[in-house]
Amino acid sequence: MISGPDIQSAGRRQTVALSVFLLVQTLGTVFFVGDVIGDLREDPTSVHFIFEAMVTAALVLGILFGSFALRRTIELLRAQEQALDVARGALGAVIDAQFQAWALTPAERDVAFLALKGLDVAEIAEMRSAAQGTVRAQLTRIYAKAGVSGRAQFAAFFVEDLLGEGVPAPA
Amino acid sequence: MTAPRIDLPGAQSAGRRIAPPTLWDPVVRLTHWGIAASVLLNALVTGGGSLIHVSLGWLVMALLLMRLVWGALGPSEARFSAFPPNPLSALRHLRDMMRGSQRDYPSHNPAGAIMAYAFWATLAVVTLTGLVMTGGATPMQVASDKAAVASGDWSALIREGGDDAGESPLGEAAEEVHEVAANLLLLLAALHVAGVFVESRAMRRNLVAPMLLGERRK
Repeated sequence: MISGPDIQSAGRRQTVALSVFLLVQTLGTVFFVGDVIGDLREDPTSVHFIFEAMVTAALVLGILFGSFALRRTIELLRAQEQALDVARGALGAVIDAQFQAWALTPAERDVAFLALKGLDVAEIAEMRSAAQGTVRAQLTRIYAKAGVSGRAQFAAFFVEDLLGEGVPAPA
Repeated sequence: MTAPRIDLPGAQSAGRRIAPPTLWDPVVRLTHWGIAASVLLNALVTGGGSLIHVSLGWLVMALLLMRLVWGALGPSEARFSAFPPNPLSALRHLRDMMRGSQRDYPSHNPAGAIMAYAFWATLAVVTLTGLVMTGGATPMQVASDKAAVASGDWSALIREGGDDAGESPLGEAAEEVHEVAANLLLLLAALHVAGVFVESRAMRRNLVAPMLLGERRK
């Protein structure tokens, strides 16, 4: 999301170019289909028409596969950007961006940061000179927004990106 | 969205995002601005039935089809499932916004989603009635017909008017619907721009940048 301007902009240029190409392809197909429908009215049984219908099918399939490939490229780019961010040690920025994506309020963001650093409810409440009940409620809201069950899973959310490997299956 | 993240590396982490994208993918942006420009040009500048009007109409048809395919095959925030048409939640969103307590959505907000579907339905009506009016002639056929007429061969007019355009009841109805739907499009566009403006003010977030080049980052 944040770092890797060269790779990011190169990737963006590539997907934009692919999109424009997909549009040209779609435009060509739409014209061709219009033409084929025009032919259909004249003589639908001719070899010429059957051949054109096959070409049309190929064009439509090409657009569908092209779209699918473009989606994969975009998703891959996003995944790579994220992996790169983590690898470059931009964990703080990643956490920040993720907090923003979860739409945490500024107060919730502070609390979430302190929770990630390992402070418990009492310590956070003291640091922020707030009631423990308030901090607990904020943490509950944070976990709900992040869609995690609790503090352990919340911390693991960010560590997991660093670990990279999947969990090995029990022997 | 609430599932814990245990997916393997490389897999797309769907549902991570709750705020709308900071930059829409190129297909969404291309179709958005392509349709916006073509509709404005065809509504305000080009003459109905002219070669450029028909060509832009076909371009809109291609852009619309591409966006609909993308709604099925695109990345998560561009897919229909990310912004289902739901009038009730659209009303709820508008009410929340009046109160200043709106929440974030991973894609279009519910009101914006209804707007998108309204646009697509109206665009489909405009292009289909346009096709009826021209008898389904592609821009190439329109061009060659016009060239034939210009060179004195009036037989092209017979094909052009003979099918279902012109004086037939269907052709007249299509023309009527075409004009009404085109005006509806302009009305929707005005509402859309107003909505984006109000929403950007209410959320203190630039909603236009993600549709252009994304926000400048330090």
